[in-house]
Amino acid sequence: MRALNLKIENKIAILEFDQPDSKVNLLNSATMQELAENIDQLAQKSQGEVKALIITSKKEGSFIAGADIKEIEQIQWAAEAKEKSEKGKQILNSLQNLDLITLAVINGDCLGGGLELAVACKYRVASFSDRVKIGLPEVKLGLVPGWGGTQRLPRLIGLTQALKMILSGQNISGREALRNGLVDRLFPEARLKEESFNFVRGFLEGTEHITRIRRKGFSKALLENNPLGRAVLFQQVKKNLLKKTSGFYPAPLKALEIIKRTYGKSNQSGFILESEIFSQLAVTEVSKNLIKVFYLNEKFKKFPWVSDQVKQTKVNKCGIVGAGLMGGGIAHLTSSHDIPTRIRDVNFEPLKKALKTAREIFDYSLRNRKLKKNQVEYKMGLISPTVTYQGFENTDIVIEAVVEDLSIKQKVFKELSQIISPRAVLASNTSALSIGRLAEAVSYPERVVGLHFFNPVHRMPLVEIIKSEKTSDQTLAQVIAFARGLGKTVIVVQDRPGFLVNRILFPYLNEAASLLEEGMQIEKIDRIARRFGMPLGPLELADEVGIDVGYKVAKILQDAFGDRMRIVSVLNNLIQKGLLGKKSGQGFYLHTGKRKIPNPQVYRMTKINNRGRVSDQAALKRMIYTMVNEAARCLEEKVVNCPETIDIGMIAGIGFPPFRAGLLRYADSIGIEAIVTDLVNFQNQFGQERFRPCDLLLEKSRQKQSFYTHDSNRKPEYA
Amino acid sequence: MGRIAIVEGVRTPFVKSWTLFEDVPAQRLGSVCVRELLEKTHLNPDSVDEVIIGTVAQPVEASNIARVISLYAGIPKQKRAYTISRNCASGLESVTSALEKIKCGVDRIVIAGGTESMSNIPLMFGRETSKIFMKLNKAKNLAEKLKLFLGLRPRHFKPVPGLILGLTDPVCGLNMGQTAEVLAKEFGVTRREQDEFALMSHQRAVESRPKLQEEIMPFIIPSKFDRMVEHDNGPRENMNLESLGKLKPFFERHTGTVTVGNSCQVTDGACALLVMEEEKARQMGYQPLGYIRAYCYVGVEPDKMGLGPAYAIPTVLEMAGLNLKEINLIEINEAFAAQVLACLKLLSSKKFAEENIFSPGTVGEIDPNRLNVNGGAIALGHPVGTSGSRLILTLLKEMKRREAQFGLASLCVGGGQGGAIILER
Repeated sequence: MRALNLKIENKIAILEFDQPDSKVNLLNSATMQELAENIDQLAQKSQGEVKALIITSKKEGSFIAGADIKEIEQIQWAAEAKEKSEKGKQILNSLQNLDLITLAVINGDCLGGGLELAVACKYRVASFSDRVKIGLPEVKLGLVPGWGGTQRLPRLIGLTQALKMILSGQNISGREALRNGLVDRLFPEARLKEESFNFVRGFLEGTEHITRIRRKGFSKALLENNPLGRAVLFQQVKKNLLKKTSGFYPAPLKALEIIKRTYGKSNQSGFILESEIFSQLAVTEVSKNLIKVFYLNEKFKKFPWVSDQVKQTKVNKCGIVGAGLMGGGIAHLTSSHDIPTRIRDVNFEPLKKALKTAREIFDYSLRNRKLKKNQVEYKMGLISPTVTYQGFENTDIVIEAVVEDLSIKQKVFKELSQIISPRAVLASNTSALSIGRLAEAVSYPERVVGLHFFNPVHRMPLVEIIKSEKTSDQTLAQVIAFARGLGKTVIVVQDRPGFLVNRILFPYLNEAASLLEEGMQIEKIDRIARRFGMPLGPLELADEVGIDVGYKVAKILQDAFGDRMRIVSVLNNLIQKGLLGKKSGQGFYLHTGKRKIPNPQVYRMTKINNRGRVSDQAALKRMIYTMVNEAARCLEEKVVNCPETIDIGMIAGIGFPPFRAGLLRYADSIGIEAIVTDLVNFQNQFGQERFRPCDLLLEKSRQKQSFYTHDSNRKPEYA
Repeated sequence: MGRIAIVEGVRTPFVKSWTLFEDVPAQRLGSVCVRELLEKTHLNPDSVDEVIIGTVAQPVEASNIARVISLYAGIPKQKRAYTISRNCASGLESVTSALEKIKCGVDRIVIAGGTESMSNIPLMFGRETSKIFMKLNKAKNLAEKLKLFLGLRPRHFKPVPGLILGLTDPVCGLNMGQTAEVLAKEFGVTRREQDEFALMSHQRAVESRPKLQEEIMPFIIPSKFDRMVEHDNGPRENMNLESLGKLKPFFERHTGTVTVGNSCQVTDGACALLVMEEEKARQMGYQPLGYIRAYCYVGVEPDKMGLGPAYAIPTVLEMAGLNLKEINLIEINEAFAAQVLACLKLLSSKKFAEENIFSPGTVGEIDPNRLNVNGGAIALGHPVGTSGSRLILTLLKEMKRREAQFGLASLCVGGGQGGAIILER
């Protein structure tokens, strides 16, 4: 089967992409080869037989989704990558050099290699559809565009706009593309084909002219059109990039370097540098890991946790009990997805705050131009506050987000169970309490489920769904669909104390507190973790979350797992002194405005038992390996089904560095044997239960196995 | 077809204009209220066929405000909504329109109500100024623009308050307050009588606060959300005849009797009622507040628009086949104390009944202990488009408390009309 169909009608050639057995078109080697052949054929006919070439896609709502990432992932040597990049460039160059009117008709996704192909055409048109997404996402995979994108795009839409697209990897809409000159016309989706033809015919008949006059703006003249301005621009962009990537993600900086060194020079020299840098990046571990995370994300977007035979009903109305930080955050999330939401608390104070917070997040979307004022008015109005249970009768799902106290939560469940419809799902946003125990309060435990959002709700992509022994598949299917509808990544975990993410996270926080007690400085501990790539160090994270909030979870874990999770005493001291973190102004740090300095009081209240200096490396190992150990226990106890679930959970839940591909991928890269050796050493050194490697780790170490087998395409298992 | 039921209702607090709600547009007042009604009745928004909202000064940014309210309240987009106006009786007209729609078989479940933000009635530029601005927009070159600019004079920037325009009768040219003065003169209503009436309104409203609480929803004020309002802020605890007496006549210098103290307040607020057939309500498991027995609208002289209730009350009693004496509770909207008192005088006049051929039972003295027992618009305020719905809600709740069988609500209508409705339980 071929992926390209070439037709010629009235001197207009139509090249249609239609990759067999695929929902989207991908530019793999075979397709590129076909493209090359077609272009050669057209080149021969360009002396009169054919006057124009229209490139279209037969896939609905998708033009070309990009190059085939699988092929890039398999590249092992830089030379291989270079060859691939040069070959692609060669083909697109011949497309550019065709002596024809060439037009790309963008009917949907036009990404990566797809966009590079489109900008090698003389003109581009797109449909008005929302499905039109145009971008160069290569940097998100630790790469740079490899088929001339860094050269053609700045030339077409100007330096500032091109930098924005290439360095962020973000997509733009059809309208934005029209505004910045990337596409020349937008047509209605239903008439895209005909209008594209007319457009081309216009050129042939001499009635259509497009002159791309660079719009002259003040900032453009100042920044782009003179060397000094450009130097300032590059400087500024670089500074921002360094801040944003913390030095862990080289790709955007490399892309900047290419553009900086080649802007305004000949295409040829630019192409050479681009291929060179592409080939360097394609073989880096960072890129390989980011590609793995990309697949991981894709996989979990539709991972079949429940058989698709189970019917789900749509959530038309959501109830929330508890208008604290989480309840308010969830209310914003549901209303932003146009779900009418009724939120209850015992008095109006927290409700006012919740509405205010939701409004502030909406205002932020307003400033970002993600939403229009009227949309915000509409969405905001969907949140209805109350101090009664009136209006909960016809909710399809109720999310309980009251304080982390089993008896209070059970009371709320009991009250709700007398009100809500027999079809409604009762979900708890608890971060550690047993769902099974909560369900004891109601007569239909099969409808009770855990739905654990992370703070801040609108930013954190993960939702942990906790299935008790009695939770029905129907309930599970419903909350999974609900959470995905809210744009979240879902993992399903078993009803064990701390579930997954918090259970693995706690040893890391606790280890940090131990290091503090051993005399390591607060900011140093955090710096070590941040240098590893964590978005926040453990102690600043505790301050953000609230030490009391973390403490409650810690208590549950300590009760459940005993010695291994014994709370380090400095945490007790902080709680007693009312140092609760950022919200109280003081925690491990003193918070004033946006600035924070280590809190000297913490040192004073810490009994520092000097056991000698801990090296940075040992400190990091202790923090990360105890997490690995706990993660292995979660696998052992079947809290989750597979290592992927842990990796996506830690990346999406707490921001474990994606360039390390996930906690267990990282463990594999170190080697389980090495980790076990270190853990055993720590255990001997400190005589602490928390370092004792679990059976699964020991077993894998003996068998010289890793968490991941090489066959990563195994069939999904039902949880 | 059976009776039409008013199942449940709710209203926002009534808040003096340019105070707490000054930044809340009428559509938001209405939508929060409609949403609360849906929640209170746990009615599936999917089953609402139509939202009918009465309003007088429809905001320019929310034309067909009922539709905006319906969508903001989370009612599905496939549902219908329209806005009606019968001036001060708009909130009554929305309910009677709902009845008509249901009786005609067009709708089954209707949310009817009213909304008004008198704080948000815009100030306008005059015609002349507007014309100049339009021409400026169309001007082709600088010279033309300059010429137009030079034609602008300070007087062009004097705003025309929409509120004042709206309260002026387009036929007789009198302001609503002036029509009240007309009645005070004709019926010899003294300043003292008016002030006493106003005082009673405040006293009753203050005393009824806990009762009124039952129909008011707590309202967190958008978009700052840092204040919550639970009560009407019009009624004054410390009101007395002395302070009322100190006020100067507002509409007629020296010899006038109508003051801001014995007139209704300018107010923001919304009200929503759930209307459906009795049988339907029973099927859905509701216990309606009450049922509509009869309603009517009548036309009167524009410059005596305040007499509307005097004509509407006997008419509606006639239609209902009831005597005035059988009515347990009566609400007459207090646009002006003078106007209500004039109506009472007229109703008890034999000559009036004879001239208009009203049957004897439908006219007579109205017992002050049955009239506006929880205070009226002088204390609570009169958000014009909303008041009709509010009277029905307050009346029905009071009828329930007293286990009264019949209640009557009536309003005078700017432009020279009267409206009345009889409710039963």
